[in-house]
Amino acid sequence: MPGALELSEDARGRLTELRALSEKAEAGDKEARKELRRLVRASSPEVIAEASDIARRTEWVLVKTISAGKPLMEDALQERTHQMRSEIAGENPTPLELLLTERVVAGWLLVEILEGLIAAQYQRDVKAHRVAPTYVIQQSRIVESATRRYLASIRELARVRKLQAGTPPVQVNTQVNVLRG
Amino acid sequence: MTLERRDGRLYYYRSVRDGERVRKVYVGSGEFARICSETDILRRTGRRAQRERERAELETLKGLVAPVEEFSEAAKVLVIAHLVARGHRKHKGEWRRARSA
Repeated sequence: MPGALELSEDARGRLTELRALSEKAEAGDKEARKELRRLVRASSPEVIAEASDIARRTEWVLVKTISAGKPLMEDALQERTHQMRSEIAGENPTPLELLLTERVVAGWLLVEILEGLIAAQYQRDVKAHRVAPTYVIQQSRIVESATRRYLASIRELARVRKLQAGTPPVQVNTQVNVLRG
Repeated sequence: MTLERRDGRLYYYRSVRDGERVRKVYVGSGEFARICSETDILRRTGRRAQRERERAELETLKGLVAPVEEFSEAAKVLVIAHLVARGHRKHKGEWRRARSA
């Protein structure tokens, strides 16, 4: 389903705006910080909801890919991601924490799948014929990059939790259903 | 690789790279030339199919990575926007708590 796993043009536009304002505010522009606060309140809930939704759909596609039509495997993986999501999000997570939780879960799932697929390819290919070194290098880069992103997502969630503790939040009203399968 | 026919007889040559230059190396003639030529064609076709398969498999992997990557980037932008909006700042690559907190 092309497009279903991509952010809408509108969300991309808002993200570009948020990024530009964050950069200005970080550089000390007070007006930009005010505008950023307004924009975070006004548009980030929708973007967070959309991104979380995409994460869920992406996870579903990843689960379908690795389970390769085996219903038991599919159920087990869905249950595992559901548990992970609940454990990582904890009680009363903020929308931002929920988004980062989705990122951790999707990252974990992706690394598992990539490693699984590559292991299966090696088992098949090494016996049959020589695997090109450039191919092995490119595969390794993909896995390495996914692993790095996964670890970064865990660090980011921990960092956000640490920074959020004791600071008054910018109020956002986003509903993300944690229990949806 | 060339299979040449001269005076009704087959001659087979392989191209071998020698630095910048490509040399034509004589392999054999007659029936032997024909067998060598067909073996090379089969090997080349096999290698091409293998490269094609590898390219398709890499595309599959990239296709799985792309949505997670896009979503990750979006999450990163949102986190920074929230932190900066709350007054947090980055100092030497590390986020610091807002002074008012």
